[in-house]
Amino acid sequence: MGFIKLVIFCFIGLTVIYFSVSIFSRSVRKERLEKQFDAENPDGGEPGARDAFVAEGMQAYHSSIRPKLIGLVYVVPTVVIAAIIYTINAN
Amino acid sequence: MRRFRIIVRVLALLLAGSFLHYVLPQHDIVQISQAEPRRTDFGSFNRWFYAQADSGSTELEIRDVFYIFTEKNEIFLLGFIPRDSTETMVYRNEDTGWIWPPYFKFDSSNLHGQATVQAGRFTGDGDGNWAVITHYGWRIPFLSIFPNAVNIEPVESPDVRIIPWFNIFFFVFLVVAIVFIRAAWRQFRERSVDPLLDAAGDQYDEVQAGVAERKGRISRWLGTWRDKSKNRPID
Repeated sequence: MGFIKLVIFCFIGLTVIYFSVSIFSRSVRKERLEKQFDAENPDGGEPGARDAFVAEGMQAYHSSIRPKLIGLVYVVPTVVIAAIIYTINAN
Repeated sequence: MRRFRIIVRVLALLLAGSFLHYVLPQHDIVQISQAEPRRTDFGSFNRWFYAQADSGSTELEIRDVFYIFTEKNEIFLLGFIPRDSTETMVYRNEDTGWIWPPYFKFDSSNLHGQATVQAGRFTGDGDGNWAVITHYGWRIPFLSIFPNAVNIEPVESPDVRIIPWFNIFFFVFLVVAIVFIRAAWRQFRERSVDPLLDAAGDQYDEVQAGVAERKGRISRWLGTWRDKSKNRPID
């Protein structure tokens, strides 16, 4: 049946997008933390301090709202599809 | 090689462009003269350009398809330039269902009713029943391919301003998506692929160095079996 096919394929596609976006977002955040540390400690800092700084920053990132917003990847297409169904079929 | 690359790129761009031109909604200003169902015996090729049976119905080889016959105001350059002449245009009116293209149209029978009412207002002298038909697809007469009408909106006069909101949003979204994919790909390369390649390169160098050293060791060992008196400088 068409509807089940749509749900399955959309779910697979959106899951791929979800994971790509979350990996990208994490990577950007990590890079920014590393650059921030390097700017603040031009001499390189104490051994292990850079890793600790980045780990702490990533912890803060994970508990913030940003990674949860990536869940919109599932919500927005569903809303858009519902809106299209309504506008096309309402007379 | 460079010319070949340009040709491939132009072809890909043309293909993507005609795909979008087929799938995205377009608006025509028309006068509907008739709307009727007709049994359609699909050929093996033009079958691709029809949708499936109405959602909820069984898929058979042959079925009735609604058609809408109109006089359409001709347009030029995707409708940016209007023209004074008219041409005959025929649309099919089919459910797209849940799959493709994603119009989620289930109301082909309702649309047929609307088209019939609109055709009833047809006077034939060029005024009275103007309507804007939203459709996707192409009319290719020699393959019996018709665009699929999605919506009919009766209008007062043919001079209506049509703003293609959906297409505007779609292209904005497309640009944003392309920019995002580029950024993500660059980030991925910079952070994941390049370090990996560097590491692989380093490892390769180490292996090479190891092989060279081992070779050196073996040849040195072999050298111990050689006659030391050979190749000795004559003193």
